[in-house]
Amino acid sequence: MEFTSAASVEEATALLVEYGTAAQILAGGTDLMLQQARGEISADVLIHIGRIPGLVGITGNGSVRIGPLTTHRSLFRSRLVLTTAPALAEAAATVGGWQTQAVGTIGGNVCNASPAADTAAPLLVAGASFELTGPRGTRTVIGDSFFIGRRQTARATDEILTAIVLPHHPERTGDAYLKVGRRSAMEVAVVGLAVRIALDIDGTVEGARIAACSVAPAPLRIAEAEEILQGSRLESEAIAAAGEALTRAVSPIDDARATAAYRTRVLPGLLARALGVAAARAERGVG
Amino acid sequence: MTVSVGRSVVRQDADPKVRGQAVFGVDFELSGSLHAVLVRSPIASGRIRSVETSSAAAVPGVRLVATAADAPRILSGLALADQPLFAGDVVRYEGEPIAAVVADTVTIARAAAARVVVDIEPLPVVASLSAAVAPGAPLVHADWSTYRPSPGLPDWPRHDNVVGEMRFDSGGVDDVFATADIVIEDVYTADRQYQAYLEPKSATAVYEAGRYTIHAAHQYHFNLRDRTAAALGILPSRVRVIGHHMGGGFGAKLDVGLEPYAALLARLAGAPVKMVNDRVEDLLSCNSRENAIIRVRSGVTRNGRILAREFLVDMDAGAYAGDTVFLTSIPLFVAEGPYSVDRTRVVARALYTNTAPTGAFRGVSGAYLYFALERHTDNLANALGMDRRDFRIRNAIDAGHTMLNGQVLEDSDLLRSAFDAIDEVAPWETLGRGPNRGVGIAATVWLTNPMPGAVTLRLEPDGSLGVVTGAAEIGTGAVALGVRQVAAEELGIDPDLVVLTMPDTDAHAYDGGAQGSRTTHIVGRAVQHAAAGLRERIFGQAAKLLDSGADELEITDGRVRMVSDPQRSVTLGQIAGAAMFDGGPIISSGSYATPAPKHDPDAATGLLFSTFPTPTYHVHVAEVEVDPVTGSVTVLRYLVAQEVGRAINPAGVMGQIQGGVTQGLGYALWETLQIGDDGRYRQRSLEAYKLPIALDVPRVEAILLEHPADAGPYGAKGVAEPPIVPVAAAIANAVADATGGSIVRLPITPDDVLNALESSKE
Amino acid sequence: MSAVTFTVNGRIVTLDADGADTLLTVLRDRLGLTGTKEGCAEGECGACTVLVDGVPVDSCILNVHAVAGSDVLTIEGLATSDGRLSPIQQAFVDNFSVQCGFCTPGFLMTLTALIADTPTPEEVTIRSALSGNLCRCTGYSTIVDAVMAATGQTERS
Repeated sequence: MEFTSAASVEEATALLVEYGTAAQILAGGTDLMLQQARGEISADVLIHIGRIPGLVGITGNGSVRIGPLTTHRSLFRSRLVLTTAPALAEAAATVGGWQTQAVGTIGGNVCNASPAADTAAPLLVAGASFELTGPRGTRTVIGDSFFIGRRQTARATDEILTAIVLPHHPERTGDAYLKVGRRSAMEVAVVGLAVRIALDIDGTVEGARIAACSVAPAPLRIAEAEEILQGSRLESEAIAAAGEALTRAVSPIDDARATAAYRTRVLPGLLARALGVAAARAERGVG
Repeated sequence: MTVSVGRSVVRQDADPKVRGQAVFGVDFELSGSLHAVLVRSPIASGRIRSVETSSAAAVPGVRLVATAADAPRILSGLALADQPLFAGDVVRYEGEPIAAVVADTVTIARAAAARVVVDIEPLPVVASLSAAVAPGAPLVHADWSTYRPSPGLPDWPRHDNVVGEMRFDSGGVDDVFATADIVIEDVYTADRQYQAYLEPKSATAVYEAGRYTIHAAHQYHFNLRDRTAAALGILPSRVRVIGHHMGGGFGAKLDVGLEPYAALLARLAGAPVKMVNDRVEDLLSCNSRENAIIRVRSGVTRNGRILAREFLVDMDAGAYAGDTVFLTSIPLFVAEGPYSVDRTRVVARALYTNTAPTGAFRGVSGAYLYFALERHTDNLANALGMDRRDFRIRNAIDAGHTMLNGQVLEDSDLLRSAFDAIDEVAPWETLGRGPNRGVGIAATVWLTNPMPGAVTLRLEPDGSLGVVTGAAEIGTGAVALGVRQVAAEELGIDPDLVVLTMPDTDAHAYDGGAQGSRTTHIVGRAVQHAAAGLRERIFGQAAKLLDSGADELEITDGRVRMVSDPQRSVTLGQIAGAAMFDGGPIISSGSYATPAPKHDPDAATGLLFSTFPTPTYHVHVAEVEVDPVTGSVTVLRYLVAQEVGRAINPAGVMGQIQGGVTQGLGYALWETLQIGDDGRYRQRSLEAYKLPIALDVPRVEAILLEHPADAGPYGAKGVAEPPIVPVAAAIANAVADATGGSIVRLPITPDDVLNALESSKE
Repeated sequence: MSAVTFTVNGRIVTLDADGADTLLTVLRDRLGLTGTKEGCAEGECGACTVLVDGVPVDSCILNVHAVAGSDVLTIEGLATSDGRLSPIQQAFVDNFSVQCGFCTPGFLMTLTALIADTPTPEEVTIRSALSGNLCRCTGYSTIVDAVMAATGQTERS
């Protein structure tokens, strides 16, 4: 297999055009090298994008712009992420252990689009948009349209993810990410749940966003549950009803990690917990 | 005042290990080695129609491709000769070797192995214990009646898929059940547990001048020698096994793994051959702790006496008998556990299934048998309205207890001191308080393996002491600490002056392997015998040098001196030097095996091992908190009281307790190998097979009870195996207490916890 | 096959490697540095941990070409040139943190990075940092003890 390192986005996309399906994009490689070793993918060429300048880092000026090569470790150590989207930091801190967090990138996590991708749900509730660059130029895809199936995203095979943008959030919003697994770390999410709540001045829910991973082929938002919370004051009845809607809207499977029944039964309690954390953050104006 | 025994002396092999210089089996390289890879069956049961090897053999760099046709037509096995090297006519488990590719590099070998084409016609799969004994069940071994036990073993009851059956009946059991005030019956199940040593199995073999030399990372080099010889149809003396550092074994590396293949292929290829499992194949093919179903029934009186017990166990041997058939004897020793029972019936069966052959994992069947017994004991206490700890103490065995095999335990009153010891540190009533919290307790009697060992001590002119033994140091410290410190103590020298060897079956006398906590106990005794002889020669030589009587001398601090005139002394090194030409090098050997305690070997039918030597007594207490939303379990506190006889190295003993409990936590909460209907494992990698991580493991609070046993070196009993045995029991009892519901299987899943919480609300 | 240059334990190395070769196979099979171990080849067990520019990585899933120009530190590079153990290595020896020793190099590399990053880590920080390092023998508590000792946090008694 050939290894070629791209020095720029243009070079990377040109290589993608040249090699087509014979190529795979290599960022940190914590997913790709594993799939390669297991024989789950076969490529003739690895296009290494890890050295392309300008794709690392987190900048904020109203909205927050995250470079796709930003490692999970950098994400959860970023003051900007911790104050504007702590759920994303919480998710990044659960992707494997230190060795994975230090090498794995958010771009890899979202483009690989495992049904269990931890960063996906927080990004979805943050209203993230994904900037894709290819031979036809640059375009932006809103999060809800980005994850389209199991390991399938809106990215065309000749495009590179060049940024993830989180829109500015008004005061009195808060988010949270809760992950369920057997052990305290190193888990592929059995269920991952992210929520974002916007409260108006008297505590009424102005906006509610709920997203989950490992409950469907792709990470997804659950509008039915969001609508129930909209306009509520997060009363226990509203939360219970939203939890109920959540369980009806998802389609988890049985696998070696857990049963569909387990994944479904934990959702209402998980939602209540996550809402508690998010609401407290909204009140404090953090996140 | 001891020189060494009772001190937490640091081990000498830690230095090369922290430098990355220790050579493990996977690291060992012989120049000119070829690499071999096994072609393994992808399905659990089938008839082999053809094996096409020509495409693989044509790959550049491939030296040969071997199949059953290239191996001796021999069946062998630890207990029963039922297993071929390569599957010839049928495959019986996923992962069974069908062929082997030998090539210049491992990359070429793996690529070529993928080109071997095996055509297998699928046959019905016996995937579970119930399927194995269902009427009309397919036979995993159609020719079972033609199989013979391994040489030296008398045959035992077996038929169809029942490869072993042990039966005990004290008589009058059913009558007594009829008189009981309360009868409780429970059924428990346990999944398989994979030893998951960090170093995958490996072997390097050379064939030269009619002999095989195997470089191994192994627990039981002499068994490896004998079993490889049996598989190849040659005398054991044609095989030499040389040991290297081993990255964990925990029982899986007691029997052969890759070694007979490497040996055979080295002869066929005319060059050294190295083989290393990758993690996936290691997991799939490993002789894991067997899955089992346990039925326990007890009849008790209203005031808490256990009148009658029935203990029925079915254990999964997998596709070949391995050593699981021996384990049918263990239920005889656990049916009562550490409690008094009037009348008992025990039936234990080992069953063939189309799954990887199972084997020994620290604690063997005891880990799930005690889970079943102690969950049941909790149920008895609860049914009687008695406190769970009080009920146990009420029924705890006293000194002079007679076990079901007729063996009398002289010191069984030590069990009570274990209960007291924990209570002093953490009173029972204070534990498990608060919402979603619970406390569990479990008591255990366990044994020390009695297999023989030997050692030769060599006193060197530089004052060092060579301890030459075939005993295996597998990481526990049994040799690096235990044996070494006993030797140092016997000679009154600094343990840093002790020189240890790696096992070599050509150079060392037989050793029974690193198993059943035996090494420090058995080899320590052998050291004491050898030391007595060594001291005789030392004093004899010193008497000449000091012009005194041998009985006027004492050894202390590396010197021999006159008791009456301590200034007149000579060093041990000087003595060794002087002896060289006056009688020759100072050496002395000792052998030891635990004498069989008095017992009735015919107490049960099908009893393949009949004694419970050098027993030890244990009480474990666990405090847990459960999460009512996710069902996850947090272990808040874990306490151990363990009777060790004498702690030769307290830190070493604590290390075994902390490590064994951690493995037990994994068994209770996170680890599982689930078997699908197709006989294949659902967990197939370390991502899916969840080992305990640092965040989830509490610091074990351990109390070492030291009542020196006459039989042990300085009173020491075996310590390393028992810490795992009561853990699943204690945890399960704690979770049942926390949830108010029932826990009947291992591992305890979050779903089980949520179900238990729900059921207790009803 | 293409060339890659990087430093290992302070020494510059240039070699040809296949485009999919991992750093682990290069270290063990090409450079004879067998102190770094393969435990799983899937980034779960951490036995293969080395430091790349001071960062702990699972070398079994790291493409060797991705370390071009970087400084790789392996277990063989921890002791001083005259053979003195580093404080964390010595602490492992003194605190019974080593049993079979197969996981030990990986732990020492992760802990070397931890101590550089957090000179006096709390117990929970240590355990969290070690999530990607599995030990089957010790049950972790003596490893934590060693870190406390090496970072001067053990109470004098």
